[in-house]
Order: sequence, then structure tokens, then C-alpha cells
Amino acid sequence: MSLLQPDNEIGMILQTLFSFAFIVYLFYAQRIQAMTMLRQIEMTLRKIKGLRDEGKTTAIETINEIGKPERDPTPMVERFMEHFMLEPVSMDPAGVVGKLGSILNVREFTFEKEVEVMAPNAEPSERNNIENLLEASLALNIFYKVIRHYYLLGKKTMNIYIIMQIHMILPLILQQIEAYSSALTAFREGMPIGDSVGPIVAAKLLNGAETREVAKEMVAGEIEYEGRRVIIAKAKGPGGSVGKPGDAVTNLLNENKGKVSMLITVDAAGKLEGEQVGDIAEGVGAAIGGPGVEKYKIEQAAMEHEIPMYAVAIKQGMEHVVAPLVEPLFEATDKAVSSVKGLILDYSKEGDTILVAGIGNTVGVAQ
Amino acid sequence: MSGETSPIAGGATQNWITLAAMIIVGALALVSLYMGFQAYGNEDIEIAFMYMIIGTSGFIAIGYAFFRPKPTSMDPLKTKKFDVITTLECPQCNLKRVRAFQRGDYIYKNDEPCTRCEGKMIITSIHTRKEEKK
Ligand SMILES: [Zn+2]
Repeated sequence: MSLLQPDNEIGMILQTLFSFAFIVYLFYAQRIQAMTMLRQIEMTLRKIKGLRDEGKTTAIETINEIGKPERDPTPMVERFMEHFMLEPVSMDPAGVVGKLGSILNVREFTFEKEVEVMAPNAEPSERNNIENLLEASLALNIFYKVIRHYYLLGKKTMNIYIIMQIHMILPLILQQIEAYSSALTAFREGMPIGDSVGPIVAAKLLNGAETREVAKEMVAGEIEYEGRRVIIAKAKGPGGSVGKPGDAVTNLLNENKGKVSMLITVDAAGKLEGEQVGDIAEGVGAAIGGPGVEKYKIEQAAMEHEIPMYAVAIKQGMEHVVAPLVEPLFEATDKAVSSVKGLILDYSKEGDTILVAGIGNTVGVAQ
Repeated sequence: MSGETSPIAGGATQNWITLAAMIIVGALALVSLYMGFQAYGNEDIEIAFMYMIIGTSGFIAIGYAFFRPKPTSMDPLKTKKFDVITTLECPQCNLKRVRAFQRGDYIYKNDEPCTRCEGKMIITSIHTRKEEKK
């Protein structure tokens, strides 16, 4: 065959090289792919490490600025960043929400105490912000450690399936990490975030009406709207807190036994790609995220009192939820207010009592 | 990975190696193409065909290395700077004022004196300025 008969030396070298490359690729394609992926993971890991360190420094700086502690908070912050929570066993699921709830309460209590020690001179609302800031740093630390785990494991075993697992979700993880890094700015300064839209809607509905504390870190006030009595609950601002909306709804429904005819929850909701930031959607059910404990309480209370639940969702991307509030979302709160009012007019009659709960973190939003 | 290596330096080394490999492959591909044309001149069609395949695949490989989709950008992630603005309104004289956000601002805070009348200004909105799309 003349194809395999090169006419001179350079030709021979070239052909050998070509065949060699082909054979190498035939046998080592997967390994080359694994190495490429590992390199990309390594690059991401470096970025995440940078962000985690930035989270730590931000937390320490803020504590020093606001809390004016007598001793260096660094070791305490480092200890905090390693804090973990063990979820209750769910093999026997009856009552698991209650167990999770009490574990979360202990976690909250511990965090509050830690922050109190770290920043003794901070105001309560500033303490809440520091707590949120520390939680964001904690999340960044966990991200870093999990990705490092998979990276090192992949490097050690050179197993393409282990490497692939983390490589596949890398873009999504990066998105989340970027979101948490914007949260550092927001909580350090006490700026409203994307998740604050629920409390902003509640505050706009309250419009300066008098409020009282109805559950831990939860306030409620009353307004009159078109002959209806509207009770509005939100987390107590302006410190960063989500409060206990489940307890607030339960307490308010128990207080107004048989009187409440409608429950509306307003919350931020994840948007799908292609949906606009600040779109409003109406639906039924309890609009509330988190570990599920508060949602369970709301659903339980609504079921006991046989109250229909309506929900207003304000759409936003993952990158908006904990980042400083963007203008379209702030504008969306006005639309959500009219949406709530529309629901009230459509589904209740004069003389009814309606409960509206603005769900979300109330950082930077008073009442 | 050692914590001391700066991410930029590491990335640059990798780039340098990739660049060198690309230059070598490119040179080989060029030689191959040249030989292909020579063989074509000698009316050795089959040999010419083979060299041209080798040459073009070399260039295709370089092209791929240049334009392959990169899931993560090279620049290190930095926390974004946010341009947050606070809007204050006076309920008495309807004066509206916009200024940069200061720590301690929150929506419905009302302890800033109005610059026009005796009233207190209320913070009505806090949000980031509309970002110019890249
Ligand atoms: Zn005024």
C-alpha cells in the first residue's frame, strides 16, 4: 500500500508521531479527560478558598468594627466556621419535624450566645447581622471543604466517576458561592437582600401601623382595608432575621379563633431561567422556604383552623436571594402589595379577618 | 494543593505549557501541509492526501484548544462591589433625596432631619443601582 510508504525521513517522523498520538489517545483518552476536569476543579477550588478566606476576614473585621470586643475574635470565628448540625434520624418519620425544630432552636440559641460573646458591644439588630454574616462564612467554608474533599479523592484515585460527579455540578456550585459572597457585603452593612421582599411587602402593607411582638423575633400589626381587618406579620427588623413565622401564624390564629378566613404568605421564590426577575405569581399553599419546620407549623395551624392558604411569590434568581436588593425586586414589592390586595378583594368579603405573613429575612427593613 | 501558591501564577504556568505545545503542534502541522503540497506536485495523490489529513488535524487540534468551552473563567472570584442607593422622602414637604447607602440605614428608618422643613425624612427604598449590562 503506497499510503504507508512515506518517501523520506521527515515524512516517516510525521507519520509515526501521528500514529503515536492516535494510539495514546485511544488508550489514555479517559485519563486525559480526567486530568482536564481535575484542573478545572482545582481552579474553582482556588477561587472558593479565596472567597472563604474573604468571608472569614470580613466577619472578623465586622466584629471588630461593630462589636468592639476586648479580645481578638479570630479563634472564636474559626471555631464558629466549623460548627455543624446533625439532622434527626428519619427512619421513623413520625414527629421528625418537631425534633428538627428543637435542634434548630438549640443551634439558634448557640449562635446567639456565641455572637454575644464575640461582639458584646453590638446592638441586638447588629448582632443579628453578624450572626447572618457568620452563617454565610460557615456556608462558604463547608462548600470549600466538600469540593476539596472530592478534588483530593479524585486526584488520589484518578477515578473519572468521582471527578465527574463534582465537575458536573461545578457551574451550579459556583453560582451559589458567588451568591454567598455577595451576602457578605449585604450582612456586613445591613442592606436589604433579595429575600427581604416578603418583609418589605409586609412593611408596606403595615404602612406605619403599630406592631407588637407575637412570637420570637416576630411582630404583627393590624390595618383596615376595604372593610376587612387585615393582620400582618413579619420578622422583627431591621436586624437580619427570619424570625419564627410558623409560631407567629399559630399564635395569631389561636388568638383570633374562628375569625380568620384567609391566610396569605408572601415570599421570594426561585425563578426558572428565562423568567423575569421580579415577576409576581399567585398560588395556593404556604410560600415559605427553609428547613421545613416553619412551613409545617403554618400548614398545621391552617389545617386545624380550616383556613385556605394563598401564596404570592416574587421571582428571583439564586444570585439575588442573599445579594443586596436589586431595583427590579424593589419595584416588584409594589406589584406584590397590589397582588395581595387583589387576593383579599377577590376571595374575602367585608367584615372578614385576613392574616398576611411576609416571609423572609428582614435585614435592613423595619416595620 | 499548597495554600501559598497564588492562583494567578499557577494559571499562567499552565498557559505557558499549553502555548508551547500549541506552537510545536502548529509547526509540525505546517511541515506536514508543506510536504502534502510537495507530494501533490509530484502527482503522488495518496501520499499528499495523507499529509494533508495530518496537517489539518493538527490545526483542528489547535483550534479546539483555543475555543473549547471553559466552564470556569480564569480570573479569581472577587466579591462584587455593590452600588447601593438609599432614597429618603419627607412626608411633610414631599422632598425626595437620593444618596449612597450608609451603614445603619434601613427601610422605614426616620431619624434624619429634612433639609427643607422641620420634619423627619423616612427611608423609603434601598436597592442597588441598575447595573449596566455587560
Ligand atoms: Zn420636609
